[in-house]
Amino acid sequence: MLPPLEFFIAIVLISALSGILGALTGLGGATFLVPIYTLYLGIPIVYASGASLISTIATSSGAASAYIKDRITNVRIGMGLEIATTSGSIVGALTVAYIYSHHLQFIVYIVFGIVLLSQVYVQLTKSKFELPRPVKPDWTTKVFQLYGKYYDAALNQEVEYLGIRWWLGEIIMFFAGFISGLLGIGSGALKVLGMDWAMNLPMKVSTTTSNFMIGVTAATGSSIYWLFGYIQPFLAAGTAIGVLVGAFIGTKILVRVTNRTIRYIFTAILVFLGIQMILRGLGYGF
Amino acid sequence: MDFNDVIGYTLRIGVIISATIIIIGVIMLFIFNSSNNFTLNQIAAPNSIVNSSIFKPNEIFSGLPKPYALDYIYLGLMILIATPVARVLLGIIQFAREKNKLYTIITAIVFFNLMFAIFLLPLIIGK
Repeated sequence: MLPPLEFFIAIVLISALSGILGALTGLGGATFLVPIYTLYLGIPIVYASGASLISTIATSSGAASAYIKDRITNVRIGMGLEIATTSGSIVGALTVAYIYSHHLQFIVYIVFGIVLLSQVYVQLTKSKFELPRPVKPDWTTKVFQLYGKYYDAALNQEVEYLGIRWWLGEIIMFFAGFISGLLGIGSGALKVLGMDWAMNLPMKVSTTTSNFMIGVTAATGSSIYWLFGYIQPFLAAGTAIGVLVGAFIGTKILVRVTNRTIRYIFTAILVFLGIQMILRGLGYGF
Repeated sequence: MDFNDVIGYTLRIGVIISATIIIIGVIMLFIFNSSNNFTLNQIAAPNSIVNSSIFKPNEIFSGLPKPYALDYIYLGLMILIATPVARVLLGIIQFAREKNKLYTIITAIVFFNLMFAIFLLPLIIGK
């Protein structure tokens, strides 16, 4: 076991690294954090997911304050979908409390592994198009005011968009909230899927709005985590600080790296961690 | 100032304040080598017995005048959790000002969910 100071420094460094990876892949720091903590630092998954859930609030609030300035985030769409993510998060957090109190941790390892491996698909088939194909508005477009516009600096034009299938978005968001509460992650990839694929919103709107939503979802789950004692102060403190620093560095690097090879390296890390989590859940070493 | 900027600054200030308090708490923890009658070694163990189940949010403030590092760390974490809550609350005000009835109600439901998780569930579960 590491002495306290060394342990603390290790936590800060690992979470800073996870924050950088999270910012670069758009997956959020928690995706890498929980596997590294549980597989390599001997931290119980309960505390790892508790610290990770707290850290997603830090990155979400930190980044959201910057995105709001850009006016790309669609607050209406985000808030509308928050009904589902917060409800899902409550159910997910209560479910995991049941799992932990019955010592069924292996379920969480396996689900986490599956979620990691499923991200691989999303990473590799990342939408090639900046803007979604034009669609006809449906009844939800009008009722839930699913439209907006933003200025796209990369395309150098004003982009007007509209969203459809609000109900499908809500269903996916409930599931995203559930996974967030269950695993202690932001589940940003699922949120992006809900907006990008189901509601046909532009990628930039989906990612920034998803980021904004993560904080609210995580805050809902974290209060339940607090109640059940999953938030270990030493770990949560180091993780929150580390991830904040990492996300800050990550967004600075992001502007310069768009290389495809880097995406493949990250994907390889995802596969590696995903398989290890599943093996751990099935009772094999690591 | 645009209301969106108010929201942006609220989030940023919330994160900065909470990070500062957490860092103060960590420094105190290493200076005093203990907190709340736990030794640093007990607190820093990977599977530590010290966790949030023994720290009731309303009791944290009573520890602040004493040099209890963990109370500072938990206060910082509470402020961090409170930033998205504040954001939703400001959202209600924002939509009300825009006279957008539907979204004022929707945001109020989101706020209710948050309040339900933070205040009502502990009462229901009775922990």
